[in-house]
Amino acid sequence: MYKKIGTVVLSSFLAVSLAACGSTNNNSPGTESGASNKPVETDGATTPAKNDKKTKIVYWTGDRHDMDYIKEVVQSFNETNPGNIEVEMVVKTDDYDQAIDLAFASGQAPDLFRVKENTIKTYVTKGYLAPIDGLMTEQMKQQFPVIQDFNQIDGKMYSLPNYGSTLRLVYNKDLFAKAGIAAPPTSLAEMVDAAKKITEVGKADGAYGFAQNFKNADSAFGRSARVIAEVSGYGGFGYDFKTGRFDFAGFKEIIQSFKQMYDDGSTLPGMESLDIDPLRAQFAEGKLGMYISFSSEPGVYKNQFPAKIDWAAAPVPTIDGTVKGASSFLGGQWLALSSSSKNQEAAWKFMEYMYGDEILKTYHEKGFGISMVPSISAVAAKPDINGIEGFLPNDNDATWPLSPAVTIEGIKYNDAFFKYMLGDGDLDAIIQDLNKRYNAALDKAIASGDVTTVAKPDFDPTKLGAN
Amino acid sequence: MNKARQMGFSYLFLFPSLLLTVVLGIYPLGWAIRYMFYDYKGYGEARFTGLYNFRRLLADTQYWDSVVNTFIYAGGKLIVTIPLCLLLAVILNQKLKGRNLLRAIYFMPTIISSAVMAVVFFIIFNSYNGVLNQYLLKFHIISERIDWLGPKNAMMTTIIIAIWGAVGNYMLLFLAGLQNIPNDVYESASLDGANKRQQFWYLTIPMLGPVLQIVIMLAIINSLKGYETIMVLTEGGPIGKTEVMYLYVYKLFFPTPSSGAVVDQQFGYGSAVGFTTAVIVGIITLVYHVLSNRMNKMQ
Repeated sequence: MYKKIGTVVLSSFLAVSLAACGSTNNNSPGTESGASNKPVETDGATTPAKNDKKTKIVYWTGDRHDMDYIKEVVQSFNETNPGNIEVEMVVKTDDYDQAIDLAFASGQAPDLFRVKENTIKTYVTKGYLAPIDGLMTEQMKQQFPVIQDFNQIDGKMYSLPNYGSTLRLVYNKDLFAKAGIAAPPTSLAEMVDAAKKITEVGKADGAYGFAQNFKNADSAFGRSARVIAEVSGYGGFGYDFKTGRFDFAGFKEIIQSFKQMYDDGSTLPGMESLDIDPLRAQFAEGKLGMYISFSSEPGVYKNQFPAKIDWAAAPVPTIDGTVKGASSFLGGQWLALSSSSKNQEAAWKFMEYMYGDEILKTYHEKGFGISMVPSISAVAAKPDINGIEGFLPNDNDATWPLSPAVTIEGIKYNDAFFKYMLGDGDLDAIIQDLNKRYNAALDKAIASGDVTTVAKPDFDPTKLGAN
Repeated sequence: MNKARQMGFSYLFLFPSLLLTVVLGIYPLGWAIRYMFYDYKGYGEARFTGLYNFRRLLADTQYWDSVVNTFIYAGGKLIVTIPLCLLLAVILNQKLKGRNLLRAIYFMPTIISSAVMAVVFFIIFNSYNGVLNQYLLKFHIISERIDWLGPKNAMMTTIIIAIWGAVGNYMLLFLAGLQNIPNDVYESASLDGANKRQQFWYLTIPMLGPVLQIVIMLAIINSLKGYETIMVLTEGGPIGKTEVMYLYVYKLFFPTPSSGAVVDQQFGYGSAVGFTTAVIVGIITLVYHVLSNRMNKMQ
């Protein structure tokens, strides 16, 4: 009898606890998103005293480099805004794009969030963003440049520019001097030669001429081959805007030069599996002569890996030493409103505040990013950060139009080029195969209506003029 | 009546896990099976393409390379892990001083996150300032740095890390199996004059049979499915040398962000590849199960 009672009690207990487990599990995606809705980096700074009448909005960003400053801005908005709006700032640095998808899929999207040049158009197609044309004042319309496909999509504005990124050759001045090289290379041949000379004088101390972050070939070539192609007059992603077709022939000499440096032994050993941060760490230690990257590097060498060397940035080399195209100035967008926000008006108030002159000016001057807003860059002082001089936009920095996104069957061009670099193969045949497959994918995308392309025979890569 | 109540209880207990299986297992599977026949990017219109994704899969050399890589990875891992775990379990089953501490040490890798493990191993194995190369050079074992994560050695390195991560887990299962073998069997074998080696081959191994069978099956499935450490350590590179099946599938669903280019997710094709991969793993497990059962019966 006792045994029976014991069994019943135990069973009931187990049933209740299992049900509890079940409900925990069923709720887990919500709980997780709910938890992530809480400010990751807030310590009370962005959430003032509780008040029931406050309109609460959530702001997500994937940017870590400007976090402390933006936190201050959010706090000041929370304390001073007359509309009793309270902003919760969420900094998500890992898998930000996936977190956004998940948040929209589970109906827990932020009210406004950071968008980038390679996500804004997709987000518009996915229906995540609300147009802001009706909210913008006349003054704002005058102040912020419209950049096709990067903030204005299908005739509607979805975001406004704040800062942009330029691409440069980052070089170690000490190693260049030691190798007797007077100036940073301006052509591929000079780059190959410089890498060789630096390795000759540096190898004994573990220093090498050149490196790329090949842990991810897209990321490596996306910051190097891409911009060399652009300044040489070719589309950085293999798309020829003149013909409206893909043609990777422009990459031939660039990839050959990269292979030459690899075969010469002028590249950092182990770069085949190198991520960008370990590469930067080696550069900061003086073990690397040069590499190509974005204008975020000065911040990295100030905060993340304090550089122990004298370094600078210079325009990237072109194929033959002659500039035939603009160097990418990436950006054109920063914040965007969520289409599913229930407090769009409050979210816009905060967005307007974030785009205030003083905030954008300070952002530029503190060196978090180079302003893309002409009225700001005209009055702002030079950013207070070592190494930024070389990254500041010049006449040849401009935004290239958006290359069409296509779904490739088989190996992608960056992987194919990297494979060629490490082994042998017929580069012409590889390029031919890439052209064939990329154009087939383009035709398919056009046929399905996902992409519309127009050949622009008079497209001039030297006259992109976003500045 | 009693029987009916008993059945009622059984169903009551089964219900929560059944519900979870349906919601988190069967529903997503049904979803994937549906989209195998579609061209779908995760948004917009899903276009029915019939068997096109499977035709594409047949010609996808990157995928079939990843299948070969998975077999090399799983094979290399299993060949070393299983005998090593068994040996360690037998040693640590004896009355040794500090055996509990040793068991804990060997088991520790199992509870460490595989992502953290991968980062630590990168610090050890990277060729330009990795700890391993530094020591090998210091003790004059090598004269040139070895590129442990380069195209030639990356697979071997990932296998070594996988072995390190798996040893504790399977050792513990073997240990549990060994502790179930009664001591009297060994005592009578000793009386009959069997030495330690004979006892191992003719007593331990046969009596451990059922555990061994399950452990090997789990090890096969885990090795074929494992990709987390590789994803953090090499992302499947260099040039796809460590790309395994499930990492390839993962990348179709969640492509790694590139510098600037717009990257689309491939839910339709990813579902087709994922399903095919699951079938491959299922067939291998089934073949092993049938073969090991047949061997059991023969004995």
